[in-house]
Amino acid sequence: MTTLADHLRALPDEALAALFRLRPDLVVPVPTDLSALAVRAQSRVSVARALDGLDEFTLQILDAARLTRRPDTSSPDPGGGEPRAATGETSVEEIVAFAVGNATGERRRSGVAAVRAAVDRLRALFLLYGPEDALRVAAGVDEVCSPYPAGLGRPAAELDPEAAALVADPARLRRTLLAAPPPARAILDRLAAGPPVGTRPAPDAESAGPVAWLVEQKLLVPVPGAGGSGRPATVELPREIGLLLRRDAGPLGPMRPQPPAVTGPERELTVVDSAGAGQAMEAVRHTEALLELLAAEPAPLLRSGGLGVRDLRRLAKTTGLDESTAALLLEVAYAAGLLGELDLPGATTRAGADQQILPTVGYEGWRDAALAHRWEQLARAWLTMTRQVGLIGQRDDRDRVITLFSPEAERAGAPALRRAVLGVLNDLAPGTAPAPDDVVALLAWATPRRSLGREAGQREVLAEAALLGVTGLGALTSYGRLLFAQWVAGDTRLAESSDDPLGVRADADGAAGGGSPAVRALDTLLPAPVDHFLLQADLTVVVPGPPEPALAAELALVAEPESAGGASVHRVTAASVRRALDAGYAGEDLHALFKRRSRTPVPQGLTYLIDDIARRHGGLRIGPAGAYLRSDDEALLTEVLADRRLAALGLRRLAPTVLTTPHLAGRLLTALREAGYAPVSEDASGATVLTRPKVRRAPARGSVANRATDPLATPRLTTPRLLGIVEQVRRGDAAARAARRAPIPVRGGGKLDGGPAMPHTQALTVLQQAVRDRARVWVGYVDAHGATASRLVRPVSIGAGYLRAEDERTEMLHTFALHRITAAVRDE
Amino acid sequence: MGVSGGPLIVQSDKTLLLEVDHPDAQACRMAIAPFAELERSPEHVHTYRLTPLGLWNARAAGHDAESVVDALLRFSRYPVPHALLVDVAETMDRYGRLQLVAHPTHGLVLRALDRMVLIEVAKSKKLAGMLGARIDDDTVVVHPSERGRLKQALLRLGWPAEDLAGYVDGEAHPIELRTDGSDGRPAWELRSYQREAVEQFWAGGSGVVVLPCGAGKTLVGAAAMARAKATTLILVTNTVAGRQWKRELVARTSLTEDEIGEYSGERKEIRPVTIATYQVLTARRGGAFTHLDLFNARDWGLIIYDEVHLLPAPIFRFTADLQARRRLGLTATLVREDGREGDVFSLIGPKRYDAPWKDIEAQGWIAPAECVEVRVTLTDAERMTYAVAEPEERYRVAATARTKLPVVRALVQRHAGEQVLVIGGYIDQLHELGETLDAPIVQGSTTNRERERLFDAFRAGELRTLVISKVGNFSIDLPEAAVAIQVSGTFGSRQEEAQRLGRVLRPKADRRQAHFYTVVSRDTIDTEYAAHRQRFLAEQGYAYTIVDADDVLGPPVPRVE
Repeated sequence: MTTLADHLRALPDEALAALFRLRPDLVVPVPTDLSALAVRAQSRVSVARALDGLDEFTLQILDAARLTRRPDTSSPDPGGGEPRAATGETSVEEIVAFAVGNATGERRRSGVAAVRAAVDRLRALFLLYGPEDALRVAAGVDEVCSPYPAGLGRPAAELDPEAAALVADPARLRRTLLAAPPPARAILDRLAAGPPVGTRPAPDAESAGPVAWLVEQKLLVPVPGAGGSGRPATVELPREIGLLLRRDAGPLGPMRPQPPAVTGPERELTVVDSAGAGQAMEAVRHTEALLELLAAEPAPLLRSGGLGVRDLRRLAKTTGLDESTAALLLEVAYAAGLLGELDLPGATTRAGADQQILPTVGYEGWRDAALAHRWEQLARAWLTMTRQVGLIGQRDDRDRVITLFSPEAERAGAPALRRAVLGVLNDLAPGTAPAPDDVVALLAWATPRRSLGREAGQREVLAEAALLGVTGLGALTSYGRLLFAQWVAGDTRLAESSDDPLGVRADADGAAGGGSPAVRALDTLLPAPVDHFLLQADLTVVVPGPPEPALAAELALVAEPESAGGASVHRVTAASVRRALDAGYAGEDLHALFKRRSRTPVPQGLTYLIDDIARRHGGLRIGPAGAYLRSDDEALLTEVLADRRLAALGLRRLAPTVLTTPHLAGRLLTALREAGYAPVSEDASGATVLTRPKVRRAPARGSVANRATDPLATPRLTTPRLLGIVEQVRRGDAAARAARRAPIPVRGGGKLDGGPAMPHTQALTVLQQAVRDRARVWVGYVDAHGATASRLVRPVSIGAGYLRAEDERTEMLHTFALHRITAAVRDE
Repeated sequence: MGVSGGPLIVQSDKTLLLEVDHPDAQACRMAIAPFAELERSPEHVHTYRLTPLGLWNARAAGHDAESVVDALLRFSRYPVPHALLVDVAETMDRYGRLQLVAHPTHGLVLRALDRMVLIEVAKSKKLAGMLGARIDDDTVVVHPSERGRLKQALLRLGWPAEDLAGYVDGEAHPIELRTDGSDGRPAWELRSYQREAVEQFWAGGSGVVVLPCGAGKTLVGAAAMARAKATTLILVTNTVAGRQWKRELVARTSLTEDEIGEYSGERKEIRPVTIATYQVLTARRGGAFTHLDLFNARDWGLIIYDEVHLLPAPIFRFTADLQARRRLGLTATLVREDGREGDVFSLIGPKRYDAPWKDIEAQGWIAPAECVEVRVTLTDAERMTYAVAEPEERYRVAATARTKLPVVRALVQRHAGEQVLVIGGYIDQLHELGETLDAPIVQGSTTNRERERLFDAFRAGELRTLVISKVGNFSIDLPEAAVAIQVSGTFGSRQEEAQRLGRVLRPKADRRQAHFYTVVSRDTIDTEYAAHRQRFLAEQGYAYTIVDADDVLGPPVPRVE
C-alpha cells in the first residue's frame, strides 16, 4: 500500500501541475516538499475547498467510494474483537457496481459512463487516489463529510451484535420487515431516505410504540447520546437494512447525473437589451439624484459606522425610490468610490463617530462621463463589492437593525455568489429569462455545499441585477454578458498573472477608444445626446433625448424642469425668464437662444412672454449711495456738479433735482460748506437737522469736598453692610467648594495619601458599582503622553478592556483604557 | 447610434411623450390611447400619462398587460426602464382579481380569483360592514345595497373589482332613433364616432363617454336610449340644458313631448323619460335630501349623467345605491377640479370611449377655431387706479377696464353678420357692453322664460349679438355662435375656458371658421390669468395668436412729426 505522498512523488510533472491548477490553494504558500503537499492536500481546509466546488452527483459518487471501502488491513488491529474500520481500498469497478445498482440496458450504460466520469473528476482532484483497483479516499474527506455517507447508517456489525445477526440472515430480515406495522414501516422508510438517525421519542409520544417495536426487533439500534448516561437519546438504522429498503431508489438514493433543467420564456434579445438599457439609465439617473442630495446635505454616520434609518428614509423619499433600491444604489456608489466619509472638524479620533458621508472628488469625473461609462463603473463595483445589501434593514443576531454602510452587511462571499448566479444566466441561450426558482435549484445541484442556506442571497442577486439593468425582463442583456465575461476574465488574469507579467492583455479591453466591449454595446442602445429641443405653444420645451452639457446648462437657467427620463420636459415661466435675465441674458439673447436651439418655430406666446418680462426687467433700479443732495433749484445742482473743487465727492445726477455721492453725509456737508455753499442736512423723514458748533468737555468728575474726611480711616461698618459681607464670604466659600476638584487620591496619580497606589481592583469595583448606580465618579488616568489627569464622569459601561463614560459638562462620551486608570473615587 | 427611432418617449415619471410629426405617430396613438390618458396635446409633442385608473380602464376594456408592454416597447424611441414595465404589469394585474358576480343562490357575491387578495381586503377596516357571510374560501356575500360603496372602497385599496353582476332591464319603453326624416326634417345619421361610443358603452354595460363640447354628446345619449329601449332618467346641470335635451330628443327620436318629463325647480313631472337637474336633486330641506325618491320613482332601465365632471358629491352617494342600473356618463373631460376621478370610475364606470378634440375637428365635426388674445394697453389713469387697488380688487379693475369696450366694439364690427357672443364675469361691465353694443344681456337674474326667448331669437338669427354672464358657461346650446369674445372670467379657471370655447365649436352650416377672442389688459394680473386659462387650450392643441389692440382698432392716427 502506498501513501498519498508516495503516490504524488511518482507523478509526472504535468500531472502535478494539473493538480495545482485544480486546487490552487495547495501552492499558497508553496509547500516545502511532497510530504508537506500530501499533508496539505488531505487537510480539512483544503479538502473542504475541493468539495465545495463539486456538484451533487460527484459528491454522491464520493459517498459511494466511501461506502465500498474494504476494512483497512494496514491499520493495527483494534483488538477486543472490534472490527477494523472500513477505511481501506476500493476500486472503480466496485464503485460503479454500487452506484449503478440493478439498472439495466441503456440506463445502465449511461449510468456507468456518468459514474466513471465522476470518479475521474475525483481522482483528478486527488480526493480519490491510487490505481483503479486499489483506490483510496483522501484522509480529510471523512472528517469534512457527514459521518453517514449517502445518508446511510453504520454497518450493523459496528452497532450491535444482535442486529448484525439479523442482517446476516436475509430471510429472517425480510420476514421481520414484512411484519412491521404501517407506523413502524413509515419510520423505517424515513430513516432509510436519510439521515439514518432519529431522536428517540418520549415514552408517552405517539411514535414511541413503533420505535420500541423496531428496537426490539433489532431493526433500529439505540445509540448512546452525547450525554452518556441514561436512555440512549437516538436510534440508528443499520446500513444493510437501509440499503435493503432503498431497493427501488438505488443504494445512493435518487441520483441526478445531469443538472436540473433551467427553463424560462425566450425573449427577443433586442427587447431584453432595450428593457435593460432603460433600467441602466434609470439606475445611473437615480444614483446621481441620490448623490446630489448627499452633496447638498451630507448625512452623518452613526458611531457604529452606518447611515441612520431615518437618513436613508429621507433620501429614498426625496428621490421617490423605495428604501431597498436607494440602499442598493448608495452601497454601489460607495463601492465605486463615489461616496466617502469626511471627518468633521473638531471630531474625536474614534472611528465612525463624527463623520459625514458625501460624494468624493471622483464623483465629479463620473458625473461628466458618458452614460455607458458611468453605468459600467457602477455595475463593476456591484459585481465586486463584498456587501450583501439585502441584509440592510433586517436585524442581526443581537437584534439590532443592520444599517446602510454598516460592517454587519459585509459578506466576503458576495462576489462569488453573484458570479455563480450570473454564471447560470450566462450559460443559457441569449434572451432566456429563467424562473428564479430554477436558478436556485440549479445552483443547489451544481454546488450543494456552497449553496445551502444562501438561497435568499441568490434571489437577491437576481433582483439587484434587474434593478441595475444587468438583466432585462429577467434575461441577461448582451452588454451584461460582455461585462460578466470581462469580469470573469479579469479574475482569471489575476490568478494567472504570471502568464502575463507585463500586463499586456490588461490594456486590450481597457479605456482605449470607446471603452470596454460592454460599454460600447450599451452605448449603442442608449439615446444619443441631443443639442436641440422642441418648443410648443403651451411654453413647454421638450428635449427629445439626453441633452448635451451646454444645452442642459442653458435649460437649467431659462426653464423649469417638469419631467425627466429618456427625454426631458421643461417649461418656460415668467420666473424662469426673469432668472435668465438676472443672470445676464438680454431679451435678445433669449430670443436668439430659443431660435437657435428649437427645431420648431418659436411660438408667439413665448416671444411675447420674453418681451413682456424683458420690458419690465430692470424697470426699478437699486444702488448704494452714501448721501444725497437735493434741491428744487436745478441750476444750483448743475453748478455743484460742475464745481471742480467738489470733483472728489464723486457726485452723480440721478434726476434733475437729485445728486448722490458714495461718501457719507458729514463729508458732503463739510465739503459743500468749505466750497462756499449753504447746505442743511435732513433726516430719514426729510426734516431739517440743525447743526450748531459743539463745545468740547471732559467727562464729569466729583469734587474733593464729597470725599471722606480722612483717606486713611477705616470705613464705618454698619450692621447691614456687615451682614452683606458675611453673606458674600459664605457664598464665595460655597462656590469654591462647589467648584469641582478631584479628591486627593485621584489627583495624586492614584497614591492614597501619598502612600501606595490604589489597588486596581478597588478602582474597578468602584467603577462597576458606579455603572450600576449611574453615579458620578472621579477617574484618574494616565493619558497618552504619560501625564496623569483626572475627569469627573458618569460611567456608562465597562467591557473589552475599556470604560465608556460620559462627561456631563461637555456632554461627550469618553473611553478610557482600563489599564490606564489609576484611581476611581465616587463623587460625593 | 442604434436608436430605434420610434415616435414615443417613455419617461420614468410615467408620462409618455408622443412626437406627432413622426410617420408612426398615428399608429402609436391608436396603440396607446386605450391605456394612457392624454394629458396635453400641443402642436408638436403630446403628453400621455400612465395612471392606475387608466391602466384599469384598459383592463376593463379587455387589454392585457402584455399588449400594453408590447405597445410601449414597439413605439418607444429609447430603452424603456424595466422597473416601469414591471410596475405596469403589476398594476394591471390588480384589476379583476376580485369580481362582483350574481350567485345563483346567494345573490350578489364578491368572488376572488386570488385568495390572498380576498384575505387582505377582508381585513381592511374600510370594508367593515360591507361583506357578509363567507360561502367558501373564495366567495363572500355582499349586501346588494353596498355594491357601489364596496367598489369605491376596493378601488381605494388598490384592488378594483370587476362588476359582472349584470343590470336590471328596467321598465321597457319603446324608443327609436328617427333618422329617415319622416317628419319633414332632413334625414341624418349618427356620426361614426358616436356610433362607436354607443357600441363600446353598451358592450361595457356602464361607463363614461368622453367627447368634446359640440361633438354631439346628446345624440350619444339618445342612441344609448334607443339601444336600451327602457325608461330613462337624465341628469343635467340646469333647466336650460334640460330643455335643450328635451328638444333634441323630440327631434331625433320617436319620443313625443308627452313622454318626456321635466323634474326641476319649476316643474315636477315624472314620465317614461325624465330629465332632472343636479340642483333639484341636491336640494335639501332640514338637512335631508327631499327629492331622492325620484331615483326609485320608476324602474329606470338607464340613467344618463350629463357633464360628469361637474357631478356634485351627493349625487355620487345616490349613485352608489343604483349599481344595478345601467349608467352612462357624458363629459368633455374626465379631469375633475376636486380630484374625484376614482369615484367616477368605480360608481359610474370605466371610460368607454374617448376621442381627442383635434381628431374630431380634423374629421370636420366641430368647427375649427381660431384663438386670438387681444392685448389692450390701459390708459395712464387706469394704470394708476390699478396700481393703487387692493389686492383682491386688482383683477376686477384690470378685467373691467373701459379701454376694452372700443376693442370689443371693433371686433363685433369686424364680424358683422355673424352670430357673436360676448362673455363676461362682471355685471357692471356687461351692462356697459350691452349699451355700447346695443345688445341684450343674459345674466343670473334673467328669468328662464326670457332666456329661452333671447336664445331662440339668437338661434333664429334675429339677434346677432348677445352679452352673457357666467350663466352661459354650461350647457346652453347656441348652434350658430361663430364668434365668442370673452372680456373677463373667473380668474384662471381652465374649466371655464374650455366650456366657453365649446360655445363656438358647434359645426356651422357653411363650415365657417369659428373665432374665439380674449381681450386682456396688458401688464396686469389679467394677462397672467389669461395665460393660465390659455395653457389648457394650448395643451389641447389650439395655438393662440396674440395681437395688439391697435391692430384691431385699425391704423393709428398718423402722427405729426
